[in-house]
Amino acid sequence: MTEKTVNAPERLVVTRVFDAPRELVWKAWTDPKYVMQWWGPKGFTAPFCKMDFRVGGKFLCCMRAPDGQDYWNGGEYHEIVLHQKIVFSLYFSDSKGNKVDPAHYGIEHEAIADAHDVVTFEDFGNGQTKLTYIGNESMEDARNSGQAEGWKQTLDKFAEVIAGLAQAK
Amino acid sequence: MIERLSHGPASVHGLTEPFAVSQQMISKHIAYLVRARIVIKTKRGRESVCTLRPEAIKTVSDWTFYYRRFWEESFDKLDAVVKQMKKAEVRDDRKNG
Repeated sequence: MTEKTVNAPERLVVTRVFDAPRELVWKAWTDPKYVMQWWGPKGFTAPFCKMDFRVGGKFLCCMRAPDGQDYWNGGEYHEIVLHQKIVFSLYFSDSKGNKVDPAHYGIEHEAIADAHDVVTFEDFGNGQTKLTYIGNESMEDARNSGQAEGWKQTLDKFAEVIAGLAQAK
Repeated sequence: MIERLSHGPASVHGLTEPFAVSQQMISKHIAYLVRARIVIKTKRGRESVCTLRPEAIKTVSDWTFYYRRFWEESFDKLDAVVKQMKKAEVRDDRKNG
């Protein structure tokens, strides 16, 4: 485990709070119709996106750079918890979804075998949703991630119950 | 700062300019980067010039920078998409209700 941590590339975490209910943010992530509208960096378009959204299902998206070059990404869904969490693999591919070396696109990346990405959806309960994206996790870490947040929510609810009880007194 | 240096070497003065902090703060930050062996500092006349270590560029910049940019900028667009979806939902509700 320690050895793995030393060799692993820097852990990537990106978070964002969206001013929309969780179900809506989830829909925007899981329906290719919407994914095509946001997949890829600024100035890129996503002319193709196909998703077989189920555990074991695969996806294939194409993003087109401003200079016209196409970059294909493929991946597979490993875990889906409705409205809460998606664990998946993400790699560079050809237009058929076959995995290719990132160097194929001129990108240097020492890929860790068995790397997984995790995205969690946290409902703030006020119409806002916090999205947390964690890249390059081992499957074991990916399974466990998000649990801390789950716990926090449980504790928050617990605190509410306690507060309610206190008021009733 | 590392992003700025990834475009090429820069003087301490040049590195201070884009940030709304004092040169003293920037120098302190540079000292950390030098200690972390991410940046090399050399003297050119009266000016100190900072260069990103090529090895650091390779390991730090390429993948993480690319990936972070990918997600940050995708999220910017996603934000616009969910806003649009929210509007459409309100419209549908009005139509149906």
